Amino acid sequence: MISLLQSDFLLDSVMKFVETSGFGAFFAPGGWKFAVMIALACFLLYLAIKKQFEPLLLLPIAFGMLLTNLPGAEMYHSELFAGGHVHWDIFVDKAGLIDYLYLGVKLGIYPCLIFVGVGAMTDFGPLIANPKSFLLGAAAQLGIFATFLGAKALGFEPNECGSIGIIGGADGPTSIFLTARLAPDLLGPIAIAAYSYMALVPVIQPPIMKALTTKKERMIKMSQLRQVSKTEKIIFPVIITVIISLLLPSAAPLVGCLMLGNLMKECGVVDRLSKTVQNELMNIVVIFLGISVGATATAASFLNFKTLGILVLGIVAFSCGTAGGLLLAKFMNLFLPEGKKINPLIGSAGVSAVPMAARVSQTVGQKENPSNFLLMHAMGPNVAGVVGSAVAAGILLAFLS
Amino acid sequence: MDKFANVGWPEMLLMAGLGFAVVFAVLVLLIFVMKAMGWVFTRQKKAAKAAANGAAAAEEHEAITDQEIAAAIATALKIYKSNLHDQESEMLTIHRITRAYSPWSSKIHGLTQLPERK
Repeated sequence: MISLLQSDFLLDSVMKFVETSGFGAFFAPGGWKFAVMIALACFLLYLAIKKQFEPLLLLPIAFGMLLTNLPGAEMYHSELFAGGHVHWDIFVDKAGLIDYLYLGVKLGIYPCLIFVGVGAMTDFGPLIANPKSFLLGAAAQLGIFATFLGAKALGFEPNECGSIGIIGGADGPTSIFLTARLAPDLLGPIAIAAYSYMALVPVIQPPIMKALTTKKERMIKMSQLRQVSKTEKIIFPVIITVIISLLLPSAAPLVGCLMLGNLMKECGVVDRLSKTVQNELMNIVVIFLGISVGATATAASFLNFKTLGILVLGIVAFSCGTAGGLLLAKFMNLFLPEGKKINPLIGSAGVSAVPMAARVSQTVGQKENPSNFLLMHAMGPNVAGVVGSAVAAGILLAFLS
Repeated sequence: MDKFANVGWPEMLLMAGLGFAVVFAVLVLLIFVMKAMGWVFTRQKKAAKAAANGAAAAEEHEAITDQEIAAAIATALKIYKSNLHDQESEMLTIHRITRAYSPWSSKIHGLTQLPERK
C-alpha cells in the first residue's frame, strides 16, 4: 500500500487530474481572470435577485456569464463566431450548448421575437392621438449619435461606435440586434451596459430633468388626449411597417416584428396568439437570449479598457438622449399657444425604456404638481422612442455593415 | 477592420449628422401620415355624430308631436268621460286594514328581541 502511494504513476495521475479540472485552470497563467469574471457574475446575480435590477434579463445574463467563465465547461466557443460569421465547418464538432443557443442572437432571431412580444404589450394609442410625440422620440435619439462620436473620440472603430451608440436608444433587443451584426465581440459589455442603465433610468433621469427645466415648466398641465378608434389602432401598425420598411429596409425586421405583435393585440381576432407572444414566447426567448448574451462576456472580451469605455459611454448615451427629448419639448413650447403647451418632462420619455421612462416623467411631474397626470402623455414619446431607436439601428446598419 | 481604415472624423461627423437627420425625417413623415389619418377619422367621427344628432333631433321632434297628439286625445277622452254622470254606485266600502297575527312576522318572537333580565 505504501509503495503504491509512493509510486510516480499515482502522483502523475493526480497531478494530471488536477491540471485538467477546472480548478487547475485558476492557477494557470491568466487564470485569475476567470475568478474575477465569476465574482462579477455573482455580483450581477446579487443585483438581479436582491436589488431586482431588471431581474428577468439580468439573472439569465449573469448566469450565462458564470457558465462561460467556468474553465473546462466548454459551453461557449467565441472562435466559432470569429470574424463576424458562423464557422459552420467546425460548428457541429466543437459547439457546446450555449453555442447552439447563441445562433439565435447571431442570426438576429431572438431580438425580433422579443419585439413581437413588446409590440403585443404596447398601446400605441397615445402616440396616434398625439403624433407630435414622434418629434420627441426622434430628439431623444440624440444620445445614440452623440455617443457614436464619443466612442470615436475614445478610439473605437466605426462599427464599434455604432454598437456603443445604440445603447442610447435604451432598447435592449435593438442594441443586441445591431451589436450582433456590427461588433459581436462587444455584445456582452454592451448588453450588460444597456440593461443595467435601463434599470437605473429612475436614478439617471430625474437630476437631468430637474436641471434642464424650471418649476413652472414641470407644473404644466396637458389637455386630455383624444379618443382613438379601434380602426385607427389596426391601421397604424400596417402603415408604419410599410413606410419604414420601404424607406429603411434594414430596419424592417425590428419594426415589422414590433408592428406584427401590435396588430395581433389590436385586431382582437387572434387573442390566443397575442397572449402567447406576450407571455410564453417572450419568456422562452428571454431565457435563451439572456444566457447566450451573458455567455459572450468571456474574460478575454470583458476584462479590458474597452468595457470600461463602454460603461462610461453608456451613461453618456442615456443622459444625452434624456436631454435631447427635454430640450426639444422646451423648443416646441416656444411656438405652441398657451393651453396647448407640452410639459417638457414627457420629452425625457423619448428614450425607449418602456414603460420605465414614462413612469419617471409621471413621478417627477407629480412631485411638482400632485394633480398632474403625465403618464399617458409620456407614453406617446416613449413608444415613439422604440420606433425611433429601431430606425436609428437601421440607419447605422445601413452605414456600417 | 480594414474597410474602416479610411474613416476619419469628417466621415464620422457626416454619418452622425446624416443619421440623426434621417431619423428626424422619417419620424416627421410619420407625423404627417398620422395627422392625416387622425384628420380622416375625426372627420368621419364628427360626420357620423352630426348625422346621429340630426336623426335623433328628427326622431325627438316626431316623438314630441306624437306625444302631443296622444295627450290631446287622452284629454278629450277624459273630459268626455268626466261629463258622463249617468249612474253612481253610492256605496262606501271599509276595507280591513289590520293584518292577521302570524308568528313568522311577530316582533315579540323575533331574534332582535333583547333578552330581559328577570
